[in-house]
Amino acid sequence: MKIGFYNNFIPCLITTDGVIDISDIVANINEGEPQLLMERLISSFDSLRPSLETAVSNSQATPLDQVQLRAPLPRPGKVLCGNTNYKEYVPIDPPRPLRTFFKSPDAVIGPGDTISLPKFRPTIFNHEAELAIVIGKQAKNLQEDQALGHVFGYTTGVDVSARAPEDGEAGLPGGYGKSFDTFLPIGPAITTADEISNPNNLQVRYWVNGELRQDYNTDDMEHSVAYTIAALSHVMTLMPGDLILAGTNHSHLGPLQDGDFAEIEIESIGRNGNHVQDSLKRSWDPHDLRQPEVLVARREAQKTQPNTGTWPFQKFGGES
Amino acid sequence: MKIGFYDEFRPCVVKENGVVDLSEIVSHLQISSPQILMQRIIVNFGDLQQEIQKISDQGTTIPLDQVRLRPPLPRPGKILAGQGNYMEGVKIEPARPLQSFFKSPEAIIGPGDTITLPAFRPTIFNHEAELAVVIGKEANKIQEHEALDHVFGYTTGVDVSARAPEEGEADLPGTVDAHYGKSFDTFLPIGPAITTADEIENPNNLQIQYWVNGELRQNYNTNDMEHSIAYTIATLSHVMTLKPGDLLIGGTNHSHLGPLQDGDTTTIEIESIGRTTNHVEDALKRSWDPHDLRQPEVLTARRESMKDQPNAGTWPFNAVGGDRV
Repeated sequence: MKIGFYNNFIPCLITTDGVIDISDIVANINEGEPQLLMERLISSFDSLRPSLETAVSNSQATPLDQVQLRAPLPRPGKVLCGNTNYKEYVPIDPPRPLRTFFKSPDAVIGPGDTISLPKFRPTIFNHEAELAIVIGKQAKNLQEDQALGHVFGYTTGVDVSARAPEDGEAGLPGGYGKSFDTFLPIGPAITTADEISNPNNLQVRYWVNGELRQDYNTDDMEHSVAYTIAALSHVMTLMPGDLILAGTNHSHLGPLQDGDFAEIEIESIGRNGNHVQDSLKRSWDPHDLRQPEVLVARREAQKTQPNTGTWPFQKFGGES
Repeated sequence: MKIGFYDEFRPCVVKENGVVDLSEIVSHLQISSPQILMQRIIVNFGDLQQEIQKISDQGTTIPLDQVRLRPPLPRPGKILAGQGNYMEGVKIEPARPLQSFFKSPEAIIGPGDTITLPAFRPTIFNHEAELAVVIGKEANKIQEHEALDHVFGYTTGVDVSARAPEEGEADLPGTVDAHYGKSFDTFLPIGPAITTADEIENPNNLQIQYWVNGELRQNYNTNDMEHSIAYTIATLSHVMTLKPGDLLIGGTNHSHLGPLQDGDTTTIEIESIGRTTNHVEDALKRSWDPHDLRQPEVLTARRESMKDQPNAGTWPFNAVGGDRV
């Protein structure tokens, strides 16, 4: 089942025929706050499911070209993102420590919305097409084998990234190059977890102006979705409606710039397109993409770096 | 005026001698989520203020010892925390870049609640007593002189911090910038209430004090901030829109930071804002010397060494070659 919002954040199911309004079914949990509504829908999904399934078979769908889909999680309580979480051709054993960071919940935009590049002058603005995981049940101090039981579903996410400032430019007040408003397109909807047999076996593709750039499988993740959720849950409780982005494979990353139309697609989840706007009209070579050999060299170099593992699951001297 | 929550997150005015219930006055805001209720009180405060003042003066006051105060912002949309933002005896010109990071909204606890130390083994768990700023109006790309108009009020905050892991221990699943050692659940006590901005003449002239088991540790004034509250808000607003109910914590002066450990009772007080007490619990019963506090001369040496570090300023207000906004 695919669940999302359309038009003025009307809750809906998304089928091949279009959207089905489910406002009536969720009326008693709707207080007019879309994020809160989705969190409650997630928390009460088991009891709502029969009514939602009935709606699919009994209701008339409104064709997709007559509606505007909206971000299925308009303002997540937390957005946690993987950083360099792909093996990129070089397995390292034991794996490198898991690294994640916070992204601003106000970065979220939905299908068809515009990524607006700020006046900050980085060396480049990059796209990072990623699998996005929606937490379904409160998760605290989980073991890896329990983690996927706490997932409600999946969507697509693009971790738009302003890199380091140009030479001589001032830096940002924090590691905030990924937290500008509009820097997190998600959608088109949340695909419930029962439709994804293995989140670590999904093809992720990303096009800019119709040209394929990223094209990789989530089976290349250094730390699986389950491991990532479990490790994070020992630091902070994950709550229904929180969003985790799994990191990207950096092969064929390229620039985002004024006038671009960028699309992400993940198999079994869907396709989502966004526009890019830059009032400064900066430009980069759209064919100068991050090449695999550069990534291989980076990974090779990491083999020799100190590695004490990731708390709480791996440390010198054995498991915690 | 001081606005907060008590018992099962009932909205209230907090007065010297007790609380006055506001449930009826705000019932038209029709929301069961305490965080969003507080956001709506903030947004509608102009319309509500007179009525709240009236009931505060005339309504039934429930004595403080008969209620449990709760965190006035139970789950802020964003928590942005200042890092290394005090001059600590050494003024540097031009000022060092502003440093800020996200803290988990699940770290919030309220008055009387317990800070629970995790099984993670850092070199130490420190308290950082801080001024906390509550955003009142959406702030997007504002200038410094406009910034304080976007503040609803102030409260206290303690940025509890697990430092780097002990030698040989695995590290947290965060990047260096992410500072997850500060994002464990219960690592952000706030309260007792939000003091509205009209009661604070200058947020950069407030004395902050912090006690552990009755012994004074931190004792500093917010006039020592390297980047003022107004500058911090304005700068952050150029990266991300700040929204009503978002929380900024202003960083700390590290003088006399010390350990937090099992059994401690801690109190933060900021003048004109109030006082909040919390407990500390550690299942592992680790211990540190409670009198081994961070000494001013160590901080001075650190600041002196920063003078030589490269400093390209903070976007957008201090770019090399002039302002960009």
